[in-house]
Amino acid sequence: MAELSFSNLSKQFDGVAALDSINAQITSGEFVALLGPSGCGKTTLLRLTAGFEHPSAGEIRIGGQTVAGASQFVPPEDRGIGIVFQSYALWPHKSVFSNVSYPLEVRRVPRAEREARVAEALSLTGLSDLAQRMPSQLSGGQRQRVALARCLVFDPRAVLLDEPLANLDLALRASMQEVFSMFHRRTGATMLYVTHDQGEALALADRVAVMAAGKIRQFAAPEVLYREPVDCFVAGFVGDGAVVSARRTGQTDRNLLLLNVLGQEVLSRSATPEPSHVSVRPESISLSDDAPLRARVTGCTYLGGQFRLTLDTAGETLVAFARQRARIGETVGVRLHDLWAFRDPEGVVTMERALAHA
Amino acid sequence: MRTPTFTKGGSRSLDRLLPLILLPVALIALGPVVRLLLEGIGFGDGLTSEHLTTVLSRPSTGTALLHSLITAGGGTVLSILIGASFAFLVALTDIRGKGALVFCLMIPMMIPPQITALAWMQMAGPSSTLLKLIGLAPPLGSPQPLHSPGGIILLLGIQHASLVFLTLRAGLRMIPADLVEAARMSGAGSLRVWAQTVLPLSMPSLIAGGAMAFVTALGNFGIPAMLGIPAGYATLPTLIYQRLVGMGPSVLPEVAVLSLLIGAVAILGILFSRYVLSRKGFGLVGLSGNPLALSLGRGRRAIEVLLWGFIFVILGLPLFALLATSLIPAYGVPLTFTTATFDAWKEVLFVQPGTRRAYGNSLMLATSAAAILLVISLPLAWLMERRSNRLSRILDALIDLPYALPGVVLSIACILTFLNLPFTDMTLYGTIWIILLAYLARFFVVMLRPIQASIAQLDPAMEEAAASVGARLSRRLRDIVLPLAAPSAAAGAILVFLTAVNELTVSALLWSSGTETLGVVIYNLEDSGETVMASALAMSIVLLIVLLMGLVQAGAKRFPKGVIPWQS
Repeated sequence: MAELSFSNLSKQFDGVAALDSINAQITSGEFVALLGPSGCGKTTLLRLTAGFEHPSAGEIRIGGQTVAGASQFVPPEDRGIGIVFQSYALWPHKSVFSNVSYPLEVRRVPRAEREARVAEALSLTGLSDLAQRMPSQLSGGQRQRVALARCLVFDPRAVLLDEPLANLDLALRASMQEVFSMFHRRTGATMLYVTHDQGEALALADRVAVMAAGKIRQFAAPEVLYREPVDCFVAGFVGDGAVVSARRTGQTDRNLLLLNVLGQEVLSRSATPEPSHVSVRPESISLSDDAPLRARVTGCTYLGGQFRLTLDTAGETLVAFARQRARIGETVGVRLHDLWAFRDPEGVVTMERALAHA
Repeated sequence: MRTPTFTKGGSRSLDRLLPLILLPVALIALGPVVRLLLEGIGFGDGLTSEHLTTVLSRPSTGTALLHSLITAGGGTVLSILIGASFAFLVALTDIRGKGALVFCLMIPMMIPPQITALAWMQMAGPSSTLLKLIGLAPPLGSPQPLHSPGGIILLLGIQHASLVFLTLRAGLRMIPADLVEAARMSGAGSLRVWAQTVLPLSMPSLIAGGAMAFVTALGNFGIPAMLGIPAGYATLPTLIYQRLVGMGPSVLPEVAVLSLLIGAVAILGILFSRYVLSRKGFGLVGLSGNPLALSLGRGRRAIEVLLWGFIFVILGLPLFALLATSLIPAYGVPLTFTTATFDAWKEVLFVQPGTRRAYGNSLMLATSAAAILLVISLPLAWLMERRSNRLSRILDALIDLPYALPGVVLSIACILTFLNLPFTDMTLYGTIWIILLAYLARFFVVMLRPIQASIAQLDPAMEEAAASVGARLSRRLRDIVLPLAAPSAAAGAILVFLTAVNELTVSALLWSSGTETLGVVIYNLEDSGETVMASALAMSIVLLIVLLMGLVQAGAKRFPKGVIPWQS
């Protein structure tokens, strides 16, 4: 296991920047998800880490060793990093057993030890009975597990996963998420997981790096991303809810500001003294008939246990949860509490730009 | 791109060494062609256009050029008629047994032209064993009707019909089925759909296929040699052959000009077809690939009988005639149960040193060419697909040239290049090595393209996965790329082998005593009146070829699309 670090890492393809000065540290044994819309540079970061691409500038260090930098480049085969591809990339001419044992063959591990380690990796991924099958005879989830076993068998310094669940159906995704979690607990491997699905990222990762347009916008634990997004993009991309502009009107104590949101005076947590927006999560909204802020119901969907309402007030769209069904067009009273404020003056513009790639 | 600095030795040296194979490949494949171009402007004797003007102003040159254009042009018209009829019927209608029909239509293309000519000659004329068998032979002394421009045109047309067929069928497959359905919804019947929707849309592929047939017919040596030389009707390839065989290497500068002339006409043809294909865009919108199946209704049985009857006439009858001739004791003796004998077969296969040597030479040349090209093409194809650079892209674009140019042109180019090996007193002319080098240059693309296709289809993640688990380049090539490209490589090797065994044009100019190939021996046997032996030898080759084609066909499902030429 080793830590990963990126410093000022940039990558251009034909002059177009795919990654722009990335700085990040991933500690040993950490499970990190790279989350962002298509074209945000997350896969490029993964491929640079694996060694399939050369950085245009900056440095990558694995366990303190510089593997890519101004004067150095360690090719993928010498990095000791395992990767699980979106397409699984199982070698179709090799059986499950040979696929998994290949990394050890390349390393000239003696036969007896090799067979023992392959058997262990196969039993860990629940594939022991399928060892003699060919990849074409496996289901999607089984292929995924072979790919996982193949990269575990040689105890890599880090494991990279490139949208590993993208090709699986919904039911399988949930069970494979558990496989990954279990796997991470058992091996304690440093894992870097690329996905565009925030559900996966928030469920699996210790920390999530939210990326847009070649930059990391925020790199924090899932609950921090949700409760304390740094800008409009993160607030909008991660989790449900709305981003509404806000203006400071006063301050009570250390972290609580008095803000004007949608014409109402509201108390809000904040990272800065002069915020421009607030993130309004559905949990921050309670519906009550006597609240001064009125909103019109524009949508109502049943989520199981509760209803999700979309509300229109003063041209802004809010999201709220309700116990009872609401009629479209009905007017309700809205009370805001426990908001999070941040400063991002150009916020909405950058968000549109970031999503334009998607 | 930044040049990486590596920390260890190992495969990185291979990473750097591998691109070096581009150089010898470029030299062998393109060197002779460049050398020939230089000869035209008087390379070696100072810059001059003297040869050019002398040769071009000679009347025999003009006559031969005219004959070449007439026969190639006439043959092309016939090829288009045959190829297009088959393509429309096979691709658009619901006739049965399409696979078998296509396979049979492809056989004439794979059979060496001189064998085609020999077989047809056994079917017509006063000495035809087949005609004697059914008592229809014309009286002795009457002329062989095929020894004429008409005969050449007929056989060229049949030989190259499959080229038109393949190009047109590929084009027809691109026509979205919903266009035809829309036409039918508008009330058009089958015939009207064909004439007003399908035909205009398939015109570009038809023209491109015709251009290919024309270029190939222009370079054909076997048919005009067998049919034209006895009639004193010379085309450019046979003129070159007669000059060089008659006068030796002293006429090289002169025949170089002649071969440049064919080369120029051929390149014009190629450029024309590329131009037509590049303008092919009607902007076809819709789902392509849905096979059309216009119903022929009650006419289906009749059309099937007609098509198979036609195959029987152009393929079955000549081969029967060839077989009949190979079974008689001496030319002119009628074939009956009492006269039938395998003597000629025994003679050519086991007794005659010349034919046995030719079998040995041809098999050796074909095997070596296939093996050497296999070994070079695999890393080369990988290099072109995965590490493409300017040199590899240029090579990629030009490597078709030695195969597309008429064989005569390449042979002359090879003689010029290897007559005096640069920096030594040695010559390769007259040795078997010059034939091998010419084969390597000519068949490079036959081997390269299938492997290239299969590597292009290969998910790069397969190799990246191997790299990430620690496999170096050499291991990745051996363990991942090689096994996955193997089926296409095998198909390519068999195709090279097939084409090389068939080969006459190149070896006809490059052979000398001891290095004759099968193609040369058949021609020489027939030329010296040993028709029975020539027929036996030819028949044995036809069997070998059909066997090899069947072998490729059997593995068809394992190859990527486009690897097998007759299944494009």
